[in-house]
Amino acid sequence: MSLFRSEEHVREWCAKNNLGMDGLLSLAQVWGMAQAWYSEDRRSAEWKRKSKDEAQTLFTSLGLTSAFWQL
Amino acid sequence: MSTELDVLVRKTVYDSILTRGVVPLKTALAAQMGLDVSDVGESFQRLADAHMFVLQADGEVRMANPFSAAATRFKVRAGADEWWANCIWDALGVSVMIRREAVVESHCPDCGESLILEVTKDGPRASSAVAHFAVPAAHWWDDIVFT
Repeated sequence: MSLFRSEEHVREWCAKNNLGMDGLLSLAQVWGMAQAWYSEDRRSAEWKRKSKDEAQTLFTSLGLTSAFWQL
Repeated sequence: MSTELDVLVRKTVYDSILTRGVVPLKTALAAQMGLDVSDVGESFQRLADAHMFVLQADGEVRMANPFSAAATRFKVRAGADEWWANCIWDALGVSVMIRREAVVESHCPDCGESLILEVTKDGPRASSAVAHFAVPAAHWWDDIVFT
């Protein structure tokens, strides 16, 4: 996942590389993903990767509901 | 399968990254933990099979998310400490994991311009920057380094 200067720069880059815009995210959405994914201490014996369902629920909670975000 | 060993290996790898900024090699980890290098290598492989690590072709750790052993387009600084992250999701994830304010240094793939994001405990400061995934979610693990 890349960071772009603005949405216009994503649009230009996607056009040059024949890619869709479906994977566009605001910084607030990425922050939500980062908090959900990395708040738990991975040094803990109890830590477990999020399940597919948990990840899908997270995406939905952040408004990422298009086919692009289906796991 | 050695669950207890894998938990300990995972903890020791993250300890090294968080306290020294270094993703440890198999030999260093084996020496530190008093294990055979082959035992560490097998543990790395089990952790990779469980999508907890991503390995290089030589079996060393490439990714212990959110951290990268290799230089990337995402450097995260917090005070005098710095780490490489795998992507912008992981770069913000480093700030979450270290529980410190941080600065993410990257550049725009379209124009090449340097991008600096200040990240507080409440998230990135206001910016026109946005993120983009090139690969649909269902295919991220087809090539996680590219994704």
